[in-house]
Amino acid sequence: MIFPFTAIVGQDEMKTALVLNVIDPAIGGLLIMGEKGTAKSTAVRALAELLPEIEVVKGCPFGCESGGFLCSSCRERVEKGDQIEGTWQKMKVVELPLGVTEDRLVGTLDIEHALKKGEKKFEPGLLAAANRNFLYVDEVNLLEDHIVDLLLDSAAMGVNTVEREGISFTHPARFILVGTMNPEEGELRPQLLDRFGLCVRVVSVRDKAPRVEILRRRAAFDLDPEAFMKDWQEEQDRLAKDITAARQRRDGVEAADPVLDQIVSTTIQLSLDGHRADIVILKAARALAALRGRKAVGADEIKEAAMLSLAHRAKRLPFEEIGAEKGKIEQVLSGLRIA
Amino acid sequence: MNFSTFIGHDDAKLALVLNAIDRRCGGVLLWGEKGTGKSTLARLFKDILPEGGPFVEVPLNITEDALLGAVDIERALSEGRKAFQPGVLSRADGGVIFMDDINLLPPAVVALIAETCDRGVHVVEREGLSARHPARFIPLAAMNSEEGAFSPHFLDRFGMCVALSTLDERGPRIDILKTAGHQAEAGRDKKDLNELHRRIARGRAQIGTVSLSRTIEEYIVSRCLEAGAEGHRGEIFLLYAARAYAAYSGEAAVSEKHVDAVVPLVLSHRVRPREETEEEIEAPDHSENHDCGEPPEKDRAGEAHGSAKEGNDREEADSAGDDTSGVERQKTEPSKEEVFETGKSFGVKKIAFEKDRLKRNESGRRTKTASFGKSGRYVTSGFFDNRDVAIDATLRAAAPFQKGRGRDGFLVIRPEDLRFKEREKKTGHLVVFVVDGSGSMGAQKRMVETKGAVQSLLLDCYQKRDRVALIVFRKDRAEVVLPPTSSFELAAKRLRELPVGGRTPLAAGLLEAYRLVRRTGLQRPRTRCLVVLVTDGRANRSLTQEPIDREIGRITALLKTVRRSDYIVVDVEDKRSLTKMDLAVRLAQRLDARYFRPADLKSENLTGMVREAKTVQMSND
Repeated sequence: MIFPFTAIVGQDEMKTALVLNVIDPAIGGLLIMGEKGTAKSTAVRALAELLPEIEVVKGCPFGCESGGFLCSSCRERVEKGDQIEGTWQKMKVVELPLGVTEDRLVGTLDIEHALKKGEKKFEPGLLAAANRNFLYVDEVNLLEDHIVDLLLDSAAMGVNTVEREGISFTHPARFILVGTMNPEEGELRPQLLDRFGLCVRVVSVRDKAPRVEILRRRAAFDLDPEAFMKDWQEEQDRLAKDITAARQRRDGVEAADPVLDQIVSTTIQLSLDGHRADIVILKAARALAALRGRKAVGADEIKEAAMLSLAHRAKRLPFEEIGAEKGKIEQVLSGLRIA
Repeated sequence: MNFSTFIGHDDAKLALVLNAIDRRCGGVLLWGEKGTGKSTLARLFKDILPEGGPFVEVPLNITEDALLGAVDIERALSEGRKAFQPGVLSRADGGVIFMDDINLLPPAVVALIAETCDRGVHVVEREGLSARHPARFIPLAAMNSEEGAFSPHFLDRFGMCVALSTLDERGPRIDILKTAGHQAEAGRDKKDLNELHRRIARGRAQIGTVSLSRTIEEYIVSRCLEAGAEGHRGEIFLLYAARAYAAYSGEAAVSEKHVDAVVPLVLSHRVRPREETEEEIEAPDHSENHDCGEPPEKDRAGEAHGSAKEGNDREEADSAGDDTSGVERQKTEPSKEEVFETGKSFGVKKIAFEKDRLKRNESGRRTKTASFGKSGRYVTSGFFDNRDVAIDATLRAAAPFQKGRGRDGFLVIRPEDLRFKEREKKTGHLVVFVVDGSGSMGAQKRMVETKGAVQSLLLDCYQKRDRVALIVFRKDRAEVVLPPTSSFELAAKRLRELPVGGRTPLAAGLLEAYRLVRRTGLQRPRTRCLVVLVTDGRANRSLTQEPIDREIGRITALLKTVRRSDYIVVDVEDKRSLTKMDLAVRLAQRLDARYFRPADLKSENLTGMVREAKTVQMSND
């Protein structure tokens, strides 16, 4: 049983950033950096409870979206003229353990099938399971380089292409990458860092009262998880409902030209490379407005979205810590007005 | 000997007892010098474990397959089925995983165990296998503090941490001798252990009913806040420990005294060391140095060491003359030499480099490399025959053809099916320290801090199993004062004896480094070198008639032609001085080196408890 998401004390930034990714998966994931023992992993695992249902092709292990980009076997079915049927399935949090091997990540030949039938069949790996779902890597900075390479490869294209052991297979692999890390344990490769749409830094709560509350909830959960879950069910349901509603409203939220203008001038002032930051800010701000039930993106949403999207993208001096430029971002954002 | 006849170390025994009562206490890390009984006590934990709980040891040479589980070769070959052969993590549920010398285990192994412990489930995604096994175990570890630090990130996962020291009193020491000689009364031993079993069983039965008041919860948080414990794990572990202790004492409610009793066990490793404690631990270090009979300057150096801040303040007053002071001193007293004391050492940040394309056998702990032999982590499979067959890949290669080859029971594997494991491991470097010993380094006792930084790096090299060499440049030349060696005692000695004085022949230092690195490349072509240049960058003596700057440019260009060598520049110039010139920064750019100021080398996270012991030992010779 997993500790309920809504029972996590404080850490609002982290919780919001996770929820925004559920509302709009195109935001591109989240990196959670922080000290040891600050509920990072708990929050990600707890998110699973709140996830909505998505429509997938029935019987497809790759979670293909009917009408979207299809995997090799779905495409074959379509070409043969088969009718593709949709079904609803809850989004998942797929965990990528540190000890994962290459073949389990990308998928490989199904050995038992090959032995019994003498034919080659593709056995889906974790990237298949993660398609349109969350892919969670705890201690992402400790992940082996060769695994990171494979992740980056499919994250870039949203496709996993497998050419091994005489197998040739393609399937969509658009996952929401969520990583947690303790920066003291080692750095993250810049290419991987850039893949994360948002980034938050969590620190432990310093005040006594909330700390007592954390301890109390944790102890209550450990002693009687079922009773504890029951107490929080109402809160959980409410958030799940809000998220589903926000997902539906999301694309209708207006982002007028002055808003776009503000986003761009913010990133220009911080002299960021590339356009990814602009897009991420817009998407996150829109998801945030949708969550709040607003019809249009406002200055508040841009500010908050920018804080979440820029911390790991701002230019750093060599050896400067990620997040150290928070002050500079805040300064730029403080001048933000929407005409 | 059994758990209850083990003499002394009552705190360590209490920690184990509490974990036996409640697994949620989060395990124990025992640390101390060699011969203090850490591993013995840890293994005796078996005596008090609940019946049937496994006690699994993790040997230092453990492979990832053995830890995580792998394809069962026998069944794969005979039945043609993909069966899972469980590893250590699948066998530990409900018991203990014991990691002796945890700081010597590959960090990747520790990370995997910590990850699983945290999750309570062992998730297997390997070699075509996918499985979930419950894995609720007590992590138990021992470490010898002389062998290097242990990541505080993982330290935090342990519920409790206890230091074991050699017992100082006569009585207990004699008792230990007796026990070791089997002279204790066997009958009584058994009785004591039975009594302990009874108490633990009672504690385990009662723990669910032990009550916890709101006041106690607040008290627990206050104790953690007071101690400055980081993160929230401290509070939670403290709560479980206090509760287990109350149950062990047969009481119905947790009270402050239970919390107080377990605070040292739970919080000692979550607190950053305070400055005073470091001073205290360093104290014997000083006296050792005095005994070595160093030159009279040491008193002044010691003063600067003790109050670095004051020194800096004073420095600012005459910083205007700083630049020239070194040079002037040479003019007036050209032969003046000083030997400065070694400043305080510290834990060093993780410094590792990109993997290259060579395969190596040399082991070490710094940088990743492809491995020649059978050691290291299985990364992928290929056709290169290194006699290390990758079963999973081979089976996959053979599988589709079994029907055609007429399989009857056993699999038919042909030579063309064979795939071999390509592995990755870590290797050490040859670390060449090139240290500026010129007069300007003596200004403001800069050399004290510099030696401290170099000593810290040496310590890091020892832990990463690098080899080291030391080049000093001063007066009119550079000298290899320590040829490549694995003896860190010798290296520390050379460093301590290092004199300061004279001009700065930086170019000569670089040239000597080039010669050494190049020679190494010829002798051991697979060795990765790392040149650590420690200087304020103020070169003022050239090798030839050329301008100094151009000369240095030529030698840095030469250095950059060396393959398999990386560079670090440690800039020891006083950045608060009005005349700072940042010459070392330019040098770092030219060399494409990593650039550090001594303070930047410090790992901010070190819990500190571990490294001092070794520092003291090194300075003792």
